[in-house]
Amino acid sequence: MSLAYALRRCGLMVYTLLVVSIIVFGVTQILPADAAVVLLGENATPEQLAALRDRLGLNDPAWQQYARWLGGVLTGDFGISVRTGQPVLPTILDALSRSLLLALLSIGFMLVIAVPLGIAAATRRGQLGDIAFGIVSYVGVSLPEFVTATLIILLLADTFKLLPATGYVPLGEDFVAGLKHLVLPVVTVSLIMVAHVSRMIRSELVDALHSDYVRAARMKGLPETRVVYGHALRNALLPTITIVALDVGYVLGGIIVVEEIFAIPGIGRQIIIAIQSRDLLMIQAGALTLATTYAVMNFLADLAYAVVDKRIQYE
Amino acid sequence: MNSSWTIKRRAFLAGSAAFSAAIGAGVAPRSAMAQAAPRRGGTLRLSVDQAVAKLNPLLIRVNPEYLVAELLYSGLTRLGTDMTPVPDLAESWTPSPDLTEWTFKLRSGVVFHDGTPCTSADVVASFEAMLDAKTASPARNNIGPIDSVRATGADAVVFKLKSSYADLPVMLAYTNARIIPAAIATGALARLDREAIGTGPFRLVSYEPDRQVVVQRNERYYDRARPYLDRIEIVIYPDPTAEGSALISGATDLMMLTLPTEYARLRQAQGVKVLRTPSGQFCNVNFGCDAAPFNDVRVRQALALCVDRAAMVDFVSEGYGTPGNDSALNSAYTYFVDQPMKKPDVAAARKLLADAGHAQGLKATLIASDRPAVRTQLAVALREMSKPAGFDITVQTMPHATYLDQVWKKGNFYIGFYNMQPTADGIFSLLYTSNATWNETRWNNAAFDKAVFDARATIEPAKRRELYGQAQAMMHRDVPSIIPVFFDLLAAQRSYVQGYNVHPRGAVFRLDYVSLGDGAPRRG
Repeated sequence: MSLAYALRRCGLMVYTLLVVSIIVFGVTQILPADAAVVLLGENATPEQLAALRDRLGLNDPAWQQYARWLGGVLTGDFGISVRTGQPVLPTILDALSRSLLLALLSIGFMLVIAVPLGIAAATRRGQLGDIAFGIVSYVGVSLPEFVTATLIILLLADTFKLLPATGYVPLGEDFVAGLKHLVLPVVTVSLIMVAHVSRMIRSELVDALHSDYVRAARMKGLPETRVVYGHALRNALLPTITIVALDVGYVLGGIIVVEEIFAIPGIGRQIIIAIQSRDLLMIQAGALTLATTYAVMNFLADLAYAVVDKRIQYE
Repeated sequence: MNSSWTIKRRAFLAGSAAFSAAIGAGVAPRSAMAQAAPRRGGTLRLSVDQAVAKLNPLLIRVNPEYLVAELLYSGLTRLGTDMTPVPDLAESWTPSPDLTEWTFKLRSGVVFHDGTPCTSADVVASFEAMLDAKTASPARNNIGPIDSVRATGADAVVFKLKSSYADLPVMLAYTNARIIPAAIATGALARLDREAIGTGPFRLVSYEPDRQVVVQRNERYYDRARPYLDRIEIVIYPDPTAEGSALISGATDLMMLTLPTEYARLRQAQGVKVLRTPSGQFCNVNFGCDAAPFNDVRVRQALALCVDRAAMVDFVSEGYGTPGNDSALNSAYTYFVDQPMKKPDVAAARKLLADAGHAQGLKATLIASDRPAVRTQLAVALREMSKPAGFDITVQTMPHATYLDQVWKKGNFYIGFYNMQPTADGIFSLLYTSNATWNETRWNNAAFDKAVFDARATIEPAKRRELYGQAQAMMHRDVPSIIPVFFDLLAAQRSYVQGYNVHPRGAVFRLDYVSLGDGAPRRG
């Protein structure tokens, strides 16, 4: 992998984000309903609405609004939320940090479980354990988050009173309580991912175990553990990197349901609230932040590919 | 009054009394003592279902925000549970004989959280900020026909009104009519987006709009005996099931609002006490009375006769409500006058519809926004109930934001949802008079306007009852909107929480009277 390659990928990422910013801005322009009406609500008089539209710059041509916004973003000024009067950037970064913590813990926990599970199933292919794994992971893939989350709360928090049901405590405020509050959401999110990641590992490993190089390794008399871990697994893990990278993006934006149920004020929830209340600057900043995270994760996954598998040659 | 409802309600009251008796039995003597002298101190953790997006009391719009503002700020008056005005910063008030000028005497020695004294100048500046269109405060349209406010000395203010108005002391208890320092009211209002300088029973400790608000006792509060609590944590739970679970597991002590679906589960939970109070909150079917086909009173009356109100209570409010009779007032209002309860009568409805020229039936599209969900439930129920009489209603649901933009106040046939107002005048002049703030029905009935307007200028209760009775009879007869059901307000708490009552208006909380009894956990 050359430096030029990394730089080119990086340039492409910036270009993507620029396109995303135009799309995000365009979408907020065509959202149904007048932002001023939604924000001021049912008591607003026409003068109040006109004043707010003026303050938000909603009367200017779209390209002017976009230029003003992009200029702000590039200089680190994302504006003030009209809904809460708080600055947008710190709010989004706070929310993102909570989601990131949840995402990284969940993915770490998921890998610890999914990788051994996938290996165990693949090496016992067709045996009872493998079949049981198949059934359980099918159920895991099929259950939506809100069902898993609610069941886990009812079982662990309501019935056995082992852990706090919901709520979020920052680790900086009370570390132990913070961790306790994170257990159930992390378990919920990991469960969803364990199912599909371990299935992925199993099928890749099964393929690898039938390949010529594994046969060659066995024929030269290597012990089976060396064959599985040293040769087959290394190749089988490659697609997993992509999956995990995409999962980071998924956990950040796609687990709004989990964030709602466990009352974690993460980025997904922040964006939903912003959309419902037509908090335009917050929607734009949130969507751009998520897109950036996705782009960065993809970029890192591509780099990791090139590092892990020397056969992959990029121009 | 519908008899089956009365029986159900009685049965419920008996049931809940037995329930609380069972809970209380183990600790009866001690808890009776605690009731006599509420214990001071402790932290109450309270859950709400919506963000506290606004901290500025002049701009707040939803219940959790009202709650926070009530903790941090005071008004001139407060609203009692019987909808009468109770002194807050004003100790007493007197009207001029024609009810166009009201003098409020202020409590002395009150200080803001920052230590500066709260005087008549602050009161005047606060009301001027509220009434200024640029502030965009909901108070502007909701605190009476105020022309000007001026101070007479340090401890009195005079409200000069545009017309006679008997309800001023009640309306000054409005959620947004809070007193802020004059220095902030005149030019630094934006400061109140992030900090709170009020005279309320608690002071702001921390504020995160979508997660939690923490307040602590204001040592300089004017009421020396209260508040009892040291600290209150208001935690936001967007998911109702999770919020219920938090109360059941003991993570929270009090749940401000409970959905009917959660109420049943909470009622069975150990250590949890459910709270329920009838309210004037209602869901209705608004007609555009100035356009065909609903400009014909017979069409409106025909549809009203299709409605099985008892069934609506069961279906729309899941049994936690009372039947409506197309008048905007129910027994929660001071000047409620009972009318004969309407019963479904398909034959009469068909005849009215035929007389109005729709012998072949009538097609119409009924619009319901998706928030709250009861709007859609009501629309669907009405569609089914009105089929036999020849109505062919198509229900169209849409996102709330789109509804506010395209249908609300403009449509001719849609579902409305309204909170209880403190007074009869409050709800009538919000929705039904010709000059109503949101004249959604365009009913524009001169006789109704006159009754409401005359009642405003009358202070004698019997005469007011008569005038408001006429107004209610007119709504009952002419059906500017169908009001099939009023909702009860539901809440839940841990059984050790003492002194909390659900206020029928839904926007008054009085946590300064709440204390923690035996069995309360130590928090923070």
